[in-house]
Amino acid sequence: MSDAELATPFRQRAGSAMKDAFLQEALTIATTKFIGLRREAFASFPEGEALRDQARAIKEATLQRLDQHLETLIGNVERLGGHVHYAETSAEARSIIVDIAKRTGARMAVKSKSMATEEIHLNEALEAAGVTPVETDLGEYIIQLAHERPSHIIAPAIHKTKGQVAELFTRELKRPAEPDPEALTLIARGELREKFLQADLGISGANFAVAETGTVVLVTNEGNGRMVTSMPRVHVAVMGVEKVVPSFTDLMVFLAILAKSATGQKLSVYTSMVQGPRRAGELEGPDEFHLVLLDGGRIAQIDGPLREALSCLRCGACLNVCPVYRQIGGHAYGYTYPGPIGILLTAMLEGAPAVRDLAHASSLCGACADACPVRIDIPHMLIELRREVDDRKIAPWSERVAFKLLAGLLRRPWLYRLAARAGRIAQTPFARSGRIGRLPLVLGEWTRTRDLPPVAPRTFQERWATDRDLRA
Amino acid sequence: MTTRAEFLDRIRAQVRRAPGRFQAASARRPRHAAAEAETIRRELAERWPETLEAFRREFEGVAGVFHRVASVDMVPAVVAGIARERQARELVTWHPTALGADLAPALGARGLDVHSMPAAAPAGSAERERLRTIAARADLGLTGVDLAVAETGTLVLVSGVGRPRSTSLLPPCHVAVFDRTALVESLRQVGVFLEAWHGDGRAPAGGASINFITGPSRTADIELTLTRGVHGPKEVHAIFVEQPIRG
Repeated sequence: MSDAELATPFRQRAGSAMKDAFLQEALTIATTKFIGLRREAFASFPEGEALRDQARAIKEATLQRLDQHLETLIGNVERLGGHVHYAETSAEARSIIVDIAKRTGARMAVKSKSMATEEIHLNEALEAAGVTPVETDLGEYIIQLAHERPSHIIAPAIHKTKGQVAELFTRELKRPAEPDPEALTLIARGELREKFLQADLGISGANFAVAETGTVVLVTNEGNGRMVTSMPRVHVAVMGVEKVVPSFTDLMVFLAILAKSATGQKLSVYTSMVQGPRRAGELEGPDEFHLVLLDGGRIAQIDGPLREALSCLRCGACLNVCPVYRQIGGHAYGYTYPGPIGILLTAMLEGAPAVRDLAHASSLCGACADACPVRIDIPHMLIELRREVDDRKIAPWSERVAFKLLAGLLRRPWLYRLAARAGRIAQTPFARSGRIGRLPLVLGEWTRTRDLPPVAPRTFQERWATDRDLRA
Repeated sequence: MTTRAEFLDRIRAQVRRAPGRFQAASARRPRHAAAEAETIRRELAERWPETLEAFRREFEGVAGVFHRVASVDMVPAVVAGIARERQARELVTWHPTALGADLAPALGARGLDVHSMPAAAPAGSAERERLRTIAARADLGLTGVDLAVAETGTLVLVSGVGRPRSTSLLPPCHVAVFDRTALVESLRQVGVFLEAWHGDGRAPAGGASINFITGPSRTADIELTLTRGVHGPKEVHAIFVEQPIRG
């Protein structure tokens, strides 16, 4: 998202998303479908619950020795003839990749879907260096043609209709396109097939990397991951440091739950494991293989409050079940990673102040933690973030004053009783059929989007003091 | 530029400061993976019919097309049938040593234009380019299978000499031939085989890429409408051969 878009307050972005009737319908259909598919997949997989616990324990064990596992990974990638690079920041990651592109004389780069390369805003940097980046995941391709950003981790273009895609293809590809998903997919296949065969550079993310064997693992349904890692003469994989797993045995535990959580498939269509560049005697595969290890705020969280978020598999399950995401969609969040986990990842990558509003974009209902394949306690960390945001005094002054006053009341029972009585009188003009729908002045901020329950005719304290039945 | 030492030092410092906060345990790896893989194969040799049936069910569940023949010399007729239905003529195939049988003459006799991939490394990039163009143009790709996984209907293919990655990727129709020696029951067992191949270096082939293929290429990126054949094959066929292919 551009700085101009981010300058719009979150509330306004969320508000316009909620007024967009098509987006609302698309979100409801997509998230409801994903929830159902996920539920079915786990319902017919009794060992799933135990595997989720095991997956989490593996992530945790790996983090406890992350330095050693990365050293093993680096050693094995290099032994296989690959090169490893180290990027502390997005800017550093971009310059590493741009340098590789320049040195190898690349003119065009094909990319398989990768949140890490979205995160570092790689495409702009490649373009500036004269390298044309081509997104090859169908959803990402559509988004790129439309100059937008993905709105869902695994379904980047769910906010677009087939009619919009047809118009987009007609305009951008200069060929007539019918609003039919099958026909549109066929057009994209043709366009992208040529690019796979021409491109000098293939850029991918990594769903996992196996330390013990130096293997980078990509999971896709379309097959673009296989293309990108096999056809161009140079392959660059960009990976957050937390994606490493110790062994193939560990990897299989994750593969067994990842697709079920994301799309309800038992496995995604393609799981591609890449071990260094093309070997002697092989017909295909790159001459050069590069692995870029990305920090981008992750390392500081190994011992930080967001540590749990380092276990995220990027499956998108928490987005689908989130009552806030279901209302506002991915773009309103304003950063690369949307949804409940996205708020935590944004805080990790951009710092807590970036999520001063977003930290509150959650009802804390806990659906995300239930859906998470590795049981990340997202609500707990959101509360911690809210506390941090408040400590830094970046919440609005009216909110801070209101909660200070409330804290004072709650500590003094006599004052609390007095306030209840005063409130009962003061609320008379505002209470309508058992609720307060609108308050004046600065208090109106609270009731703008929610009702306030009025003080009861007799409060619990008053009843407790007099009603014998209550105490019996 | 951040160096490896700086990068790892920062991680090390963090790891030292953060003792375990949650339950932690890596998966228990097989101690003698090669021996365990052998045991799995031996046990499955007894009950392969059930495993095959489970594989067929799952494979068809992901839109794969399953065929079954008694012996390997019946494979060309099935492949020719698939080609005829699609009015396809050009076929690329793994090298006979990788496939376990030389089917090219029989396929050619049935009117197919067969391109066998070479057993040795092509000398230069021009030759590699030429072979890739053929694969990109072909209607059918014929491969073997290293593991067929019943739990998920997955075909595992290891790349290597005579067994290029493109054969199962570029043509719009992929036909894979396998026998009971490839069957495994579960993803967990696949893990044992991967460990075994890595451990003693006795991988089925020396390539740098292992691919799990679970049905035809698919997407649902436009209005969640399931569409097949976006980048990889639109169709995947698996031909099971009852008599072991390598005799």
